[in-house]
Amino acid sequence: MIGTNITLEVKEVAKYFGGVRALDGVSIKVPNKGIVGLIGPNGSGKTTLFNVITGFYLPTKGEVWFKGERIDGLNPNEVFLKGLVRTFQIPRLFKSLTVLENVLVTPPRQIGEKVLYSPITSKWVNQEESLVEKAVNLLHRFGLGNFIHSRISELSAAHIKMIETLRGLITNAYMYLLDEPAAGVAYNTARELFTMVKRLRDEEGLAFLIIEHRLEVLMDFVDYVYVLHNGKLLAEGTPREVMNNPKVIQAYLGG
Amino acid sequence: MIGFNVLGFLISWATFLGIYSILSISLNLEVGFTGIVNFGKVAFYAIGAYIAATVSTYTILMLYNIRAAPYTTEGIIALGKYEYLNPFLDAGLFLLAIVLGFAISGIVGYLLTYPVLRVGPEFVGMTLLAFGELLRIFFQNYQPAGGSKGLMSIPHPLGWLRTPLIKDGLYTLIVLGFLVLIYLYSQKLVNSPFGRLLKAVRDDEVAALCLGKHVPRVKATILFISSGFAGIAGVLMAFYLSAINPNMFMAVVTFNIWGMVILGGMANNLGAIVGAAILTFIDRALTFVTPNLGITIITPDYIRWMSIGLLITLVLLFWPRGMVPEKPVETPPLKLIKKRGDRNEHNA
Amino acid sequence: MIGGADIINTIYIGLVYTVMAIPLTLSYKATGIINFPHINFITYGAYTAILLHDILGVNNVFIAALAAFLVGGVISVINNLSVFQPMLRRKTNLWIIMIASMGLWIFYKYLLYSVLDVLSKIYRINFISRLIRFSTLPTFQVGGLELSSAFSTTLIMSAILLFGLYLFLERTTAGKAIGAISDNPVLAEISGIPKDKVINIMWFVVGGMTAVGGLMWVIFSIATPEIGDWLILVIFAIAVIGGLHSLTLTALGAFIIAAAENIGLLYLNQAFGVPTSYKPFISFLTLLIVIIVWPPKGAGGGLPYRFLTKRKSFRGENK
Repeated sequence: MIGTNITLEVKEVAKYFGGVRALDGVSIKVPNKGIVGLIGPNGSGKTTLFNVITGFYLPTKGEVWFKGERIDGLNPNEVFLKGLVRTFQIPRLFKSLTVLENVLVTPPRQIGEKVLYSPITSKWVNQEESLVEKAVNLLHRFGLGNFIHSRISELSAAHIKMIETLRGLITNAYMYLLDEPAAGVAYNTARELFTMVKRLRDEEGLAFLIIEHRLEVLMDFVDYVYVLHNGKLLAEGTPREVMNNPKVIQAYLGG
Repeated sequence: MIGFNVLGFLISWATFLGIYSILSISLNLEVGFTGIVNFGKVAFYAIGAYIAATVSTYTILMLYNIRAAPYTTEGIIALGKYEYLNPFLDAGLFLLAIVLGFAISGIVGYLLTYPVLRVGPEFVGMTLLAFGELLRIFFQNYQPAGGSKGLMSIPHPLGWLRTPLIKDGLYTLIVLGFLVLIYLYSQKLVNSPFGRLLKAVRDDEVAALCLGKHVPRVKATILFISSGFAGIAGVLMAFYLSAINPNMFMAVVTFNIWGMVILGGMANNLGAIVGAAILTFIDRALTFVTPNLGITIITPDYIRWMSIGLLITLVLLFWPRGMVPEKPVETPPLKLIKKRGDRNEHNA
Repeated sequence: MIGGADIINTIYIGLVYTVMAIPLTLSYKATGIINFPHINFITYGAYTAILLHDILGVNNVFIAALAAFLVGGVISVINNLSVFQPMLRRKTNLWIIMIASMGLWIFYKYLLYSVLDVLSKIYRINFISRLIRFSTLPTFQVGGLELSSAFSTTLIMSAILLFGLYLFLERTTAGKAIGAISDNPVLAEISGIPKDKVINIMWFVVGGMTAVGGLMWVIFSIATPEIGDWLILVIFAIAVIGGLHSLTLTALGAFIIAAAENIGLLYLNQAFGVPTSYKPFISFLTLLIVIIVWPPKGAGGGLPYRFLTKRKSFRGENK
């Protein structure tokens, strides 16, 4: 049963590639306004789970429920439209567009994106104006006001990661899946990123599921942690419980 | 004959410029803006040309009750006799061919979205190249479309004007008119949220998909539009030359258009026209000069294609942005905010 | 009816295709570049043999093969050093590099045309369309059956090439390094493999082997500067059957396509009266079908999913 306070529920999901069991009966719950961590050694199936949740793969078995709706079997774009936003380990921004344009691409169902209306400026110019205003305000709010017209290649790694996360906010984002937000940035910057995550949760009421290898950062910010190992759940609990779990220590040292 | 016909040269150059600019703009919509590597552009051009040729010749023969196919000698003689009796018929056939050429090429392009999506951006090139060659071999062996000899005596829409100079001059204006329309439409299309979406798909289609964009639909749309434009270019060329054959649609034509797009600058419609202007100028100049050269040690065509190949590689290597580099998408609110930003910097 | 000659023909063509297609798979696997000048390796290999035979009077097919190997290999390395390597260093998109490689293909093709044009005028031989016969080709018998000299030569050469390639990839440091780079470029870089050098060696082998493939083709068939263009889509289809990854599957694909062309077309001809002039048509059709039904895995940058057209019945089901 999905209670009213659960945002995302993964039920007994399995994904087999030929004979390889990338995921084998994984169940995960993310409560409303929850920040949940997903950890595990390399190749333990974390990214595969993200791919199943966001519609890149069909699960071999199991179900994915989001806000009381079943979403496995939907295409990735439809999953986004439900309010589930995903970021990537290596950020995937649109390299030739400016920061502002990267945010402006995001809102779904823009009138000007319809091919028949796009040559008729008057049809979409009002919507575009309000979107531009919204986007500029958003960027200013998170201290990115100076970079509005910068190209992505001119930005630092941390800013790129911030923008990838923030651009979902211009639409109806309800929950985020973050894939290693702290990879490749300095310790302090990583903490800043996670502080932003907390701020988003408190101000916008978003829920988060976060894959992260840098446990020293992650553990200070999450409410609950799941540990994956060889496609199976190895342990779950509060950060403190998980860190003291001998099975987890074994998996990390041995894996 | 040594005398160089300047006016004739200009008219022929302007016509080629118009037709090839339409092709390069349409290729640029696919490659420059959307990242669909189309090595089979010539196929859609060929479809347009064959539609123009078959529709016009078969209709005239049918209307005048002649039971001969247009590729037979009787057919050609009959066409020569009847084709310019009724100017309205000629104009009507022209318009019909334009509409059909756009629609059928567009639909074929739309249908090709399926393989395009299935094979991923790098293999699209090969797939469409194979499609283009397949189509050419088909036309070569398909007798109703003239087989390897092609179709002759395609009725020129202005053929009733007996002065060649006026006829060709006016036709050039028609071609340039189509170019202007297509250019303006493409400019509007890419300077809108849709244009931004195209560039997003080009930069990273997976990310675009994760932002809720229906990437397959975007690609299908752009393939429909640009293939339709290529079809129009084919129709215009068939009526201009009044004869077509399968050898006009070799794969190398596609690469000529690629050369134009790359030289002019990817993702810039003006660049596509500049590239087309330069390459068609060289092409026309060679055509006008070659007969005066007599026998040459190397066939000038070989040198030309060789240069185009080298040009493509060198421009990509040393000058990847081309002559007219890509510009950011400019919608009115964006222009405004940029101006505001500039002013602020000025004051500070 | 389908007889021994057709089967021998299939083996024959299958071997030539194998020798041409395996290098394509190898180079794609290691670099991710779809190498259009592969077409030129074939034609340049073929014409090395023809020019040596006609101009210098070389009648030993193995000396010609060695020369072809060198020509193909050198062109291949030049391409890599002048175009691919600088573009890869700049992290240019792979499909842009592919377009640059397409430019190279056109350049080399018409360069060959130009050279042949000049040579044809000097030597008064029509090199643009030329059939040669090496006078000293080895022949041997299998079970009392006399094999044609062209077939024997193809058999010997492809055996040498394929076995040599096997030894190179499995037994030499450079060969093993190519395998490592193909499997995991990042890891290979970290583990201190001299990547640039290894990739250059790889390109040399790829160009050389394909060029010998081109030579094998002209032993029994007419040569024009277009043969590479005719063959490449078939070669490409074969490489796709191999998933652009497995060399063994690529070889298998070569024989499947060769059988389809020879025996399949013969069958179509006899059963439905399809004219044999449709051979190129069949090749293109095969490529399209293969690539659509069986799209190459890891087609770099492609959507890593199959966009669902049919959805599960529970779509939109609410709790």
